[in-house]
Amino acid sequence: MSDFDHTASPEALSAAVLGWLDLYWDTQHRGPLGEPEGNQQLWRQKVFDAGLAVPSWPEEWFGLGMKPAQCKAIEKAFAERKAPGAGLDRYHLGAITVFKAASDALKREMLPKLLTGPICCLLYSEPNAGSDLAGIRTRAERDGERFIINGQKVWTSNAAEAEYGMLLARTDWDVPKHRGITFFLFPMKQQGVEIRPINQITGESEFNEIFIENAVVPERFMIGKLNEGWASFQTAIAYERLIMGQGITERRRGASAKGRSPLLELAAKTHRLQDPVIRQRLAQALAYREVNRLNNERAKRDMMTNGSLSLMSLSKLAMSRIQHGEAAIATDLLGPASLLDGPDNADPANTNFDAAKAYMNSIGGGTDQIQRNIIAEKVLGLPKEYEPDKGTSFREVKSDAGSRNGE
Amino acid sequence: MSTIQESERTAIQEELVRFLRAEAGEDTLRSGMQSDLGYDHAVWQKMAEMGLFGIDISEDFGGIGGSAVDTAMVAEGLGRSLLPVPFIETCVIAPALLEASDMTDESRKILTRIAQGTATIAIGGNADIVPFRDPDCRLAVKADGTMSGEVSLVMHGGSADFLLLAFYSGNQTRCLLVSSDHDYTIENQTANDPALRPAKISLADVPFIELTGWSNDNFEQAGWQGIVALSAQQTGAARAIFEITVDYLQTRYQFGRPIGSFQALKHIAADLFLEVESATSASQAAARALASKAPQTAQSVALAGFLCNDAFREVSAQAIQLHGGIAYTQEHVAHLYWRRARATLSMFGDSDLHREAYLSAWEAAA
Repeated sequence: MSDFDHTASPEALSAAVLGWLDLYWDTQHRGPLGEPEGNQQLWRQKVFDAGLAVPSWPEEWFGLGMKPAQCKAIEKAFAERKAPGAGLDRYHLGAITVFKAASDALKREMLPKLLTGPICCLLYSEPNAGSDLAGIRTRAERDGERFIINGQKVWTSNAAEAEYGMLLARTDWDVPKHRGITFFLFPMKQQGVEIRPINQITGESEFNEIFIENAVVPERFMIGKLNEGWASFQTAIAYERLIMGQGITERRRGASAKGRSPLLELAAKTHRLQDPVIRQRLAQALAYREVNRLNNERAKRDMMTNGSLSLMSLSKLAMSRIQHGEAAIATDLLGPASLLDGPDNADPANTNFDAAKAYMNSIGGGTDQIQRNIIAEKVLGLPKEYEPDKGTSFREVKSDAGSRNGE
Repeated sequence: MSTIQESERTAIQEELVRFLRAEAGEDTLRSGMQSDLGYDHAVWQKMAEMGLFGIDISEDFGGIGGSAVDTAMVAEGLGRSLLPVPFIETCVIAPALLEASDMTDESRKILTRIAQGTATIAIGGNADIVPFRDPDCRLAVKADGTMSGEVSLVMHGGSADFLLLAFYSGNQTRCLLVSSDHDYTIENQTANDPALRPAKISLADVPFIELTGWSNDNFEQAGWQGIVALSAQQTGAARAIFEITVDYLQTRYQFGRPIGSFQALKHIAADLFLEVESATSASQAAARALASKAPQTAQSVALAGFLCNDAFREVSAQAIQLHGGIAYTQEHVAHLYWRRARATLSMFGDSDLHREAYLSAWEAAA
């Protein structure tokens, strides 16, 4: 039985959660009360046991059966006390996917683990399967009650820390590409998994390449059914895109207090705030950001009132023009100074970083061009483009340089 | 705040949508375009009977005491239908100014007539609240209590029951009401949009009533109401032509396939969808800000001002391009949306002006 009543009003719930946090959480030291070491694992277990990690999920699945407004109240209470661990039903892509697509047995076995500690990474893209993700060639071959995995993955963040990876692998080569893919929960800490960091154009190395050679997944770690992984994957990727539209890839620099804009501050600093041409560009950039916020608010209302996701699909695309646009203005504001970089040149360094990082939004999680296809097809109802590989078994489909996947 | 309940608002909206769909289709638009008035008077009359014109007029004068949110709802419907009726002039700006001014028997009578749909008002001059300002207008008040002068670009100036002339005189702004019962000369001007009826008005020693007692805030507020109503109209129109275009992309075949299957076209459609939805969000936010007298109203209004201008321009222009040859004809409806978009761009100052106002408001808030 939970301490929290799913019929409570958001206000009542908020008070109850704050009370609960005050019993167990030390806001000042950012750790569980009476736990000087600040044991995060213990804390996550505590949040999970109370149902607060995934409040929107039903009670039989570790949640509280709460409605969106109630969940928001819970997350707000956690944020107020600077306590981590809430809102995993919105952000933990691995757990969400397992919850939505896996068998009851796997959910029962793995959700309590995934929600209380281990990091999950994503093993989707491959060097030859980017926009055409269903063209993956990492293979999973059955060996009794387990699968042997061979192949290469790329753009995996947190790979070194992750205990599990959400793996897409091909299990049937003789059917069209979407119909031969299986989704697995893949144990990362094992022989045959090599992780190489990628040096990104931002100078960061959050992503890795993963080389998988004769690694093993137990059959029971299949998420959903054999060869039906593509449908489950759609659920997972839709969540990822939603999150990106909220600007989660951006690096915040303590700005964003109401009425403050880093761009306006840079314009003032570079004595361009009176330049009418710059003013037009600044206004347009601020407007794109403000209207994306307004669109997101409407999208949330739409989703709550009629379950419509059509507006949600726009924000990731909108975020691209915001980020690339702002970086372009900042570059022009700096002028020749923008050629500098490094810790001694904070403004140019930040601007150069942002200009590069903007591609994270416009390429990652599906390029803007793929996103436009999705909006046009799924929201506007336009037909799919001619697909030369449609209905062809994956083995026969042409790959780079005209060779076939099966060759 | 609005005195209209949410349920009433939904009912009004549904009735309006039903009415416009049934009686304000392309045929009505085109037959109205052939007439002197520019629109079908019967449609205007029926909208009056539905109580739509008193939406922004208080109950004391026979209106229903709505807010900017309610006005925007009507304006959006009108925008969809492209009906060139003088709604913003007659039912939004004029009532706002009349109600903010010292109340006289005459203005009380006019407000009541507006609510009933028996009076239309055309607005001319060079002041900020004027739709389609004429920077070269020459309007002057004479010592004998009459006025004279010339003003162009007075929308529906030829058919209006009253002229509201708003102009700068020295460092003062004057707002004069002239009844069409008096003699003045009307010279109809040819418009690029065949539905619009601008006129050049010449007045010589004409009696007037001056609106007094309004404050600069009232004046600014009335202008904002005009901008927000226009943004709603533009949003409705942009969405309508966008839907027509998406439908065409689904049904037009070339190379043996619907043309909407080609990425070159569907990517444009996706971008336009973003414009339409962004315009909708901006317009709705501005209407809410105005209705609740929010502190950031100036910023919200300016944002809607240029985003909706630009969205309607872009969507209607791309609609022609996406249709191809068929939309290069007068027979197709696309050019009517495109012409209207171009006409409304300068109705309350262009997008650059709104962008500047937006940035200034942002700076003032910081």
